[in-house]
Amino acid sequence: MPTLVTTEAAEGVAPRTTLRRLLTYAWAAILLFSVVEVVTHYVIRSRVAPMSDWRAAASFVRQESRPRDLMLAVPLWADPILREVIGDRISVEDAGRSDIARYDRIWVFSIRGAESDEVPHRAPNFTREFGGVKVMRWDLPPSRVVYDLTAHIRDAEVSIFENGVARPCPFRQGSGGGDGGGLSTGVLTPASRFICDPGRPWLWVAQTVNEDLDLMPRYCVWQHPAGREAIRVTFRDVPLGTRLVLYGDIFSEHERMLERGPVDAVVRVNGNEVGHMVHRDGDSWKRMEVVTSPDGSNATGEVTIDLSAADPHLRTFCWAATTRNGERSEDAQ
Amino acid sequence: MMARPVGWRDHLLGLALCVAYVAILIPTANDLAMSRDESFYVDAAQRYGQWFEDLLTGEHARTPERIDAGWSYNSEHPPLFKSLFAFSWLAQKHFHVFEHDSTSFRFPGMVSAGLLLWLIYIFGARAKSRTVGAFAALAYALLPRPFYHSHLDCFDVPITLMLTLVTYCYWRSLEKPWWALWTGVTYGLALATKHNSWLLPAVLFIHYVFFASAEWRSRKEGKPRMGVLAPWWLLAMVVMGPPIAVGLWPWLWHDTFGRVNNYVSFHMHHDYYNMEYFGRNYFRPPFPISYPFVMTLFTVPATTMLLALGGIGRQLRAIVPEILQKRVWPYGKIVADLRRTDILWLGAMMEPILVIALPSTPIFGGTKHWFPAYPFLALFAGVGFARLVSVLQEYWPTRAARVAVVVPYLCGALTLAPALIETAHSHPFALSHYGFFAGGVPGAADHGMNRQFWGFTTGSLVDFFKREMPQGGSVWICDTTWGAWQMLQRDGKLPNNIRASSSLANADFVLVHYERHFVEVDFQAWVAFNDATPYYVLKYDGVPIITVYENPRHRRARENAPSSRINSR
Repeated sequence: MPTLVTTEAAEGVAPRTTLRRLLTYAWAAILLFSVVEVVTHYVIRSRVAPMSDWRAAASFVRQESRPRDLMLAVPLWADPILREVIGDRISVEDAGRSDIARYDRIWVFSIRGAESDEVPHRAPNFTREFGGVKVMRWDLPPSRVVYDLTAHIRDAEVSIFENGVARPCPFRQGSGGGDGGGLSTGVLTPASRFICDPGRPWLWVAQTVNEDLDLMPRYCVWQHPAGREAIRVTFRDVPLGTRLVLYGDIFSEHERMLERGPVDAVVRVNGNEVGHMVHRDGDSWKRMEVVTSPDGSNATGEVTIDLSAADPHLRTFCWAATTRNGERSEDAQ
Repeated sequence: MMARPVGWRDHLLGLALCVAYVAILIPTANDLAMSRDESFYVDAAQRYGQWFEDLLTGEHARTPERIDAGWSYNSEHPPLFKSLFAFSWLAQKHFHVFEHDSTSFRFPGMVSAGLLLWLIYIFGARAKSRTVGAFAALAYALLPRPFYHSHLDCFDVPITLMLTLVTYCYWRSLEKPWWALWTGVTYGLALATKHNSWLLPAVLFIHYVFFASAEWRSRKEGKPRMGVLAPWWLLAMVVMGPPIAVGLWPWLWHDTFGRVNNYVSFHMHHDYYNMEYFGRNYFRPPFPISYPFVMTLFTVPATTMLLALGGIGRQLRAIVPEILQKRVWPYGKIVADLRRTDILWLGAMMEPILVIALPSTPIFGGTKHWFPAYPFLALFAGVGFARLVSVLQEYWPTRAARVAVVVPYLCGALTLAPALIETAHSHPFALSHYGFFAGGVPGAADHGMNRQFWGFTTGSLVDFFKREMPQGGSVWICDTTWGAWQMLQRDGKLPNNIRASSSLANADFVLVHYERHFVEVDFQAWVAFNDATPYYVLKYDGVPIITVYENPRHRRARENAPSSRINSR
C-alpha cells in the first residue's frame, strides 16, 4: 500500500530563524483553523431562528395588532418567512407599500441583529425577544392619509382619448386569478379590470403588483399609455387634503436597459393641472408631491390622472397615489 | 524521495477512490430532482439513443435527413457525454440496470467524477508525492458544489475531467514523446465534451514556453537532455483534436464548416442571464471582475482554500520565471522541477477563473464554469498539506515512531473534516450552500448572494406534494422544466396525478424558486390569489429556498373537507 509519509520529512531540520519559526506556526495554525471552521459551521447553524421562534413572535403580535399596523422582516430575505407565519395580517397592499404614510404602528421582526431602514431613527416603543426573533414596535403619530386612490380604482372612471375624443373603457368583472405569469412576463393581468382596447390587451387599468427597478414589489394601478393621447382615470368627490403624493414606475425589465422614451403622468384637480411627472428609464419608483388644497380645508374634488407617451412600446407604467393632510416627520425619512 | 515509482498499486487506490465516490453518488442522486439543463440533455440523449439504435439496425441512419432528425436538437453543445448518457439510457431501456431512469442518464457523469479523483491522485503522486495526490483527490471530492454537479447528466464535471486529463497527458509528453498521441486523442475528446476546451492549448503553450526555454538553456550549458523539446503535443492536438471531435459528432458530418461556425457563434454571443451578487442583480455586462474569486472563496471549504494558498505560497519560488528568480528570489530551497509542474498547475487553475472574471463573460452558471480550476486548486492544497505534515514532523519530532506514522492521517482527518461536514450538509441544497468566509448560508443571504438556479430544489418538495394532494392536483413549477417534473414521475417519486400546470392562476399550488429576479413571480402569485401569504416556505439553514402559494380554490376545498385535510407542515 502507498505510504502517506511526505518526502519533505527527510530533509532534516534547518536552522530555526525567526521567520522560519513564524512560518512553522502559520502552517500549524491551519490545523487550528480547521477546528475553528468546524465550530463556526455548527455555531452558524445553531443560531438559525427555528420556526417555533417565528411562530411565537407571530402569535404575540397577532394578538396585539390593530388595523393600520405594518409588519416587516429584517433582513429583507426573511420576508417570506414573516408572511408565512403572519401573512393573515399582511395584505398585498402592505407587502407592496409605497411608503409608511398609511400606518400608525410598525412591527419589525428582526433576526441576526438586522435593522430596518423604514422605521423612525429612534428607539422602538416596544421590544421583546422570542428566541432568535426580536420583535420591535414603533408607534407613529396618526396617519395623515385621507384618501387612497389606488385602493379606490374600482370607483373611478377610465377613458381613452382618440383623436381628441374620450371613449370610456368598460370595467370587466372577471373570475379566477387572472392571466399570465412567469419570468419576464411582467405583471399579472387581474381578471377584473377596465379594458380600453381588446385589440391591444396591455391597455387595461386595475390594481396589480409591479416589480420596480430595485426588484421591490409595488402595489399600484397599471395604466399603460396608448400613445401621445392620454388614457385617463377620473376620481370624483375625492377628499383632497392638502397634498397628493403620486408614485410611479415601469416594470423593471422594461426600464433597466435605459433605452426607451419617457412616460408623462399629469395630475389635475378639478380640471386644473397641479402636477406633471416625467418618468424616465432609471427613475424607478419615482415620487411626486403636489398641492391640492393649500388651506387644508376638507374640500372634495375631482382628480384625474392622464398617462401618455410619445412611444408607448413597453411603457408598462404603474402608479400609486394618496391624498394627505400634511406630513409626519417619519414619512419624510 | 519517493520509495517506489507510481505503479499498479497507485492505480488500484485511484480505482478505489473512483468506485467509492460513484457508490456515494448513486444513492444520493435520489435526493436531487433534475435541473433545467439536465432535462434538456435527457431529451438529447433519448434522440441520440434512437439514432444509435437506427444505426445498429441499418435504417439509413447516416443520411443527412436522419442525422439532422437525431442530432439537431441541442446542437449548441458537443456530443460526447450526451452520447454516453444515451448509451447508458439504452442499457437501462433494454436491461433495466438502475433503479431509476434518471440514474441511467446521470451515471456517465458520476463515473467521470470518480475518474477525476483517480486522475487527481495519480497526477499529484507522480508530480509531487502520494501524500499530495491522496489529499488532493479527497479535497476535490469534498468540495460541496462539485459534489452536487458530480451527480448530474451535465458537462461541467466531465469537461473538468477532460481538461485535467489533457493537461496530464501534455505534462507526461514533456518527458515521453509518445504521450503526445494521448494528448491529441484526449484533446479531441475534450473538444467533443464542452467548449471550455477551446482555450486550453493557450495555457499549455504558455507553460511550454517556460519549459522549453529552461530546457534550451540547460542544453546550451551542456547539460544532458532531460525533456522533450519538440512540441509534438501541439502537433497532435492540432492534427488529431478537431477530426476526433467532428468524427464523434454526426451533426457536423454535413455542412461541417457552416455548423462549426454556428456552434462557435452561439458561445461567442451567448445570452446574458440574471445573477445576484452582493445584493445587486447583474443582467448585462460589465460583470464584476471579482465574481469568480469571491465565489470561490465563499464556496470552497476554508481550510482547503488556506492549504491551497499555502501550497501556492510554498511553491512560489518555483513559479517565478528563472530570469526574474535570480533578481527577486536568489536563495531558497524550492526549485522548479524539470517540467515546471507548478507553473502548469497554476496556469491551469487560473485560466478558467480569469475567463469568467472578464467583464464581458456571462456569469449565469454560479461556480461550475470554472470547475476545471478546482483539480489544480486541490493539488496545491495537497502540496500545502504535505508541507503541514512535514513541518509537524520536523518541529515536533517524536521519539515514538508509531506516533510519527499516524501524524499524516490525523492531520488529514482534521483538515478534511470541515470539507466533509460542509459537503454532507450541503446536500441536497449545494447551489445554495456557502461556507466559512461567507458566514454560511444565512451570511450569504445577508450579503445578497445568488441562492440557487436551475429549479432542481423542487425535488425537496416531493413529500409535501404527496401529503397536500393525496387525490392529485396541479402545480405551477416556476423554474423547474416540464422534463424535470416528468422525470420525478417517471422515477416513481411523484404520482402521475400531480400535474405540472401552465397556468399560474389556475394551479392548486404555485412555486417560486428564490432567485432575486424571480420575485416577479412572487408578485404575480400575490395578484392571482389576492394574498401574499405563503402556504409553505422551504428553507435551508433558515433561508427561504422555495415559496409555495396555495390557490384559494384549493384552500376552500381543503377546509371544507376536514377528513382529507393533511396540514402537518
